[in-house]
Amino acid sequence: MKQRLLGKKTMAIAMAALMAAGTMTGCSAGGKENTETAETTKKETTGAVTATSTAKDGQASTGEIKPCTIKFRYWADNTDYSQLMQDIIKKFNAENGKGITVVGEETPWDGGAYSENLFNAKMGGGDIDCATWKLTSTPLFVNNDLLADLTPFIDAWDKKSDIDENIYNIMVEAGDMERVYVMPWNIQVLYVYYRPSIFKKAGIEVPKTYEEFLEAIEKCTMDTNGDGKTDVYGFGMRGAKGGQEPWGSFVNGRGGSFKDLTTPEAVQGMQDFVDVYKKGYVPPTAISDGFSEIIANFKSGLTAMTIHHTGSSKDMEKVFGDDVSAFPFPTGKGQWTSMGDTETVIFNSCENKAAAFEWVSYLAAGEGQKMWCEGTGNVPVSKSIQASDFFQNNRFMKASIDGQGYAGIVPILDTTTEWISSLWPNTVSQALTGSITPEQCMRTLQDGLYQ
Amino acid sequence: MVKKRTIWPYVLVAPAVFIILCVVFIPVINAIIMSFQNYDLRRPKEIAFNGFSNYAAACRDPLFWGSLTRTIIWVVCGVGFQFLFGFILALLLNKEFKGRGVVRAVSMIPWVTPGVLIGLMWRWIYDGNFGVLNDLLLKVHFITDKIPFLSQVTTAFPSVIVTIIWQGIPFFALMLLAALQGVSTDIYEASDIDGASAWQKLILITIPSIKNTIFVTALLRIIWVANSVDVIFNMTEGGPAYSTQTLSVYIFNKGNALNLGYASAMALLMAVLLLFVAVPYLKMNFKEEV
Repeated sequence: MKQRLLGKKTMAIAMAALMAAGTMTGCSAGGKENTETAETTKKETTGAVTATSTAKDGQASTGEIKPCTIKFRYWADNTDYSQLMQDIIKKFNAENGKGITVVGEETPWDGGAYSENLFNAKMGGGDIDCATWKLTSTPLFVNNDLLADLTPFIDAWDKKSDIDENIYNIMVEAGDMERVYVMPWNIQVLYVYYRPSIFKKAGIEVPKTYEEFLEAIEKCTMDTNGDGKTDVYGFGMRGAKGGQEPWGSFVNGRGGSFKDLTTPEAVQGMQDFVDVYKKGYVPPTAISDGFSEIIANFKSGLTAMTIHHTGSSKDMEKVFGDDVSAFPFPTGKGQWTSMGDTETVIFNSCENKAAAFEWVSYLAAGEGQKMWCEGTGNVPVSKSIQASDFFQNNRFMKASIDGQGYAGIVPILDTTTEWISSLWPNTVSQALTGSITPEQCMRTLQDGLYQ
Repeated sequence: MVKKRTIWPYVLVAPAVFIILCVVFIPVINAIIMSFQNYDLRRPKEIAFNGFSNYAAACRDPLFWGSLTRTIIWVVCGVGFQFLFGFILALLLNKEFKGRGVVRAVSMIPWVTPGVLIGLMWRWIYDGNFGVLNDLLLKVHFITDKIPFLSQVTTAFPSVIVTIIWQGIPFFALMLLAALQGVSTDIYEASDIDGASAWQKLILITIPSIKNTIFVTALLRIIWVANSVDVIFNMTEGGPAYSTQTLSVYIFNKGNALNLGYASAMALLMAVLLLFVAVPYLKMNFKEEV
């Protein structure tokens, strides 16, 4: 009996000791990993600085490529794109000839939580080498010294000139105004989807000017069955998160700009936005309509026009066939459309930056660029790929390429993420519901963005 | 008999205590420290102690006070109606009837459904263009035009409150049903002999007999509902025009924006307010253990 009791006691002690040891081991391993990562980051930050200095002297040194594994994190919007990325990775691994093995790790976009999760992973010492990217995240990662400076790699790259200089400039603006931390990959230029049959019924042509566009919104708002209620709304307004992109076209259409949202021109653009809502030219749900809603409304025939990019063009064609087309956002006193962006980055902690650059440059101007853009319908950044028949003969792609010249982005500041996700939708909905004036709305947005 | 003092119980619970310290106490202490700092990860080089600045900023912030007011309405209406309907459901389920087991199981569905799913589901139910609720109301001629429930400042908050009520009814029903089944039938039989009405039995027997359960479940639910983010966030993200932004959603939004110092300060203010609810609960638990 006594022996059995002793046995039980010993067992319990052993288990407790094991648990405690396990916990301690976990802690100590984590600590070690963190320390090591911190050390690596520190060393590589210094390395990056040296490389940059070298690049500034005109002697880009990108190092030799040795066989290695590159961990690449990406998101895909659907299972087809997921398979496509895996195919690109497989092709690159088979054909790069330098012993580089890319391991793709897919995580969901999750309404932007992708970037937050990536930030948490890197701050916690995660071993991701490179990843797909949105420019809005750049200041946060740059401020925390997480991104590698790509300037020397791009300077030494033989396909550098295949990408428009303007795109590099946007990448520089999103960083510290000196270095390129972000590698261009593909862009999505927003354009206006419209239904030719509704335009015909309304007796209008494709608008050429901003004023004609506002008129088209009004004329396309119709009561088709004579019951006194609107059945087709002229425009599918996006009032929820993400709506700042089409809204920016209204502001710029009146001659305003993001530099100062309080100018009379910018306020007039806001007034137009409020007017189309108050006059009933957009669905009454517009205030809370996000991406899913504006697309569903357009696809159901509830709206005659809406603003999005080529990412939804296949779906639109599937639903309407030839009865859907696109035009670039028309010009007024000013002209602007939002350039959605997807890029790639290499992290400071990556031990084989030259190998990682081989991979991201393959996506930017190589076979990876062609495969991805043809498969997803995104606009390529590579000029040679843009010129191919595939992109020139597609009406949605053409509207994108036509709008590329005046496409831009919301200023990338450290306030931008909060501005987009919380301040913009709530402040604009206050203006739409009349609880604040367009002037007050624009003042709040200006202060929030440039605080 | 003298109890033998031994160290072994302490050794055996030590790993669990250690883990709790790591996952609960350290983050709490960290949050307290951050609340006194200008801890904004968007500007990591500016992180420094700033005293009570975050608390002062919260006191000056109209969005904080608006969110706090909405939190009170959210909790009072949400928990109040959850209790009312949960109690009615529990009384019904306490009666013998055919298929009671099935009804009991089905009535638990809202409680076992994840909050994120509930948010998304109700968002489409309320949809102003294609939502089933508008369709039903139009069919019964209750309305003549579709109502954009989540797009109007006047209807968005009541709509999310209805959703949280729907979600929480089963919890009250389950807890109160368990308590009701513990009430002796002898008391009801005696009251029948005395000629008590159904109302008198409810007020004088049922409620006093289960008052402890009512108290504990209501307190727990107040804390949970006050802290809940998932339903509101997935339905409206706090909009339109901040009309559904409760304090927990505001804290969540600020935390997401990486302004962790300000978010921590507001979280601590909220924790202090919730202590008024938590302390009676803890006292009661402590009394029961003693």
